[in-house]
Amino acid sequence: MNFSWPIDGSIVGLYLLATMAAGLMVRKYVGKVEHFLVAGREMNVYLGIASLAATEFGVVTCMYAAQNGYRYGFAGATPGILMAAAMLVVGLTGFCIKPLRESGVITIPELLERKFGPRIRWAAGVVIVLGGLLNMGMFLRTGGEFLVGLTGLNPKYLELTMTVLLLFVAVYTILGGMLSVLITDFLQFVVLSVGLLAVTVLIIAKVGWGTLVHAVETHIGSGGFNPFVHPDMGWEYVLFNALLNTAAVLTWQTTIARVLAAKNAKTGLKIYKGTSFFFVCRFLIPGIWGIAALAILTPDQVGPNTLQAMPKLLSTIVPVGMMGLLVAAMLAADMSTDSSYMLTWSSVIYNDIMAPFRKTKWAEKKGLLWNRMIVGLIGIFLLFYGLWYPLKGDLWTYLGVTGTIYLSSISVLLIACCYWKKANSWGAAAAIFFGAVIPGSFLAMEQIKSTAALARRIGPYYSGIATYLIVGAAMVIGSLIKPKPRPARADTGGSHV
Amino acid sequence: MFSRGFWTLLTGAALIWYSTVTVYVGWKGIRDIKEMLSRLRPGPK
Repeated sequence: MNFSWPIDGSIVGLYLLATMAAGLMVRKYVGKVEHFLVAGREMNVYLGIASLAATEFGVVTCMYAAQNGYRYGFAGATPGILMAAAMLVVGLTGFCIKPLRESGVITIPELLERKFGPRIRWAAGVVIVLGGLLNMGMFLRTGGEFLVGLTGLNPKYLELTMTVLLLFVAVYTILGGMLSVLITDFLQFVVLSVGLLAVTVLIIAKVGWGTLVHAVETHIGSGGFNPFVHPDMGWEYVLFNALLNTAAVLTWQTTIARVLAAKNAKTGLKIYKGTSFFFVCRFLIPGIWGIAALAILTPDQVGPNTLQAMPKLLSTIVPVGMMGLLVAAMLAADMSTDSSYMLTWSSVIYNDIMAPFRKTKWAEKKGLLWNRMIVGLIGIFLLFYGLWYPLKGDLWTYLGVTGTIYLSSISVLLIACCYWKKANSWGAAAAIFFGAVIPGSFLAMEQIKSTAALARRIGPYYSGIATYLIVGAAMVIGSLIKPKPRPARADTGGSHV
Repeated sequence: MFSRGFWTLLTGAALIWYSTVTVYVGWKGIRDIKEMLSRLRPGPK
């Protein structure tokens, strides 16, 4: 282990102090719920790019992208390329996100209510929060395992370390909301990027590009360069990831929160275009770290958990001094993701799930108090869920399956809401139902002994593709079979609304 | 051979693009933060 507490510990301590100071500094600007949830819609392009990039790169991202690199070689970066392509196309065309931002809503379910009614808004809010929180539940433990592997910290302190870190994040998120998130995201983007780039250059210089390519050739073969010929990937992996990433670009709450906090729709589109290529880096850079682990470490050194391959490599290859920068970068990645995720899921709980309880407009002070309490409760959930859920299979697949719980239905609802006149509440309800039940059943089947073998046979990709197709069909069929409301007769004196 | 060249080029492009964007966004982002906070500054009631 190359982590020196006096040198590297000081760098990490300095970073944590600066983050806390920046996060707390802006709390005085939060006077309204709109400031808390969408920063008063005053965010401009470059801050938006920094915030979106920092939020979408967490330790968990680094871990699964490196695991992809270790297991699938360069082909493991395929989801990043698909996401970058989806984001660029959406940024260029404004597909869905332009009408969404122009509507002036705070969350997607709020827009859905205008087309499908309040019940659909509520149900959409529930699946968004369910999928989002299950997804986020893995962040804390994975982040902790990374730090343990990297710094040589005694594993018995993992829970305590992650609890303290979460407390840090919760304090500034609760006090400053989206404003604190944006300011700390900016700082975290800079630290994270410098750390990622420095370590990647170091790895390429020490291991050599030729050795990396050779390792993929010898250990994985041509499938390490081409996902279509990899035995564990194939067309179903590519198609599932194309659907998943397109849906994420359109509806993932933390991504959409940046569009909704942007000054206007044009700024939102610029943020999408400007950030799109980052999603290639997001998979490719940690993927190279994973490939380096494949080249340097023996399978015995890695052990059965391939998630640990990359941190084990870094703990031996990164020198003192740079190790502090790396740990600070990874803490930055973790904190920016946690804060943003806590805030955005809380915004859906407050804005949509609690909407029926706010028949009359609440005072700003009361709204702020509730938002802060919800952020705190999400933090507590994270702490407990992250510690007991046993992860089966690879991390990216778990995240994909839990994300599909809401991405499949909400993306279909959003597209139908924006572009299909005949879409109605029956179609929306059917889409939400199937979107939640299919991936939810798959997760349950994985955990139950008697059905685990069947779940393995079906696999997450076919299950995921089927979800998107069935949800789309459910929206169309449900909307078409709903009886048209009979026009009121003029002689009854009824209104013609 | 083509796919190996593709990944080499993509990695090079990613490192150059990311380094440039880090410096540029880091510089311009500070201005965005200043502007955002000045617009949100609590005024006299």
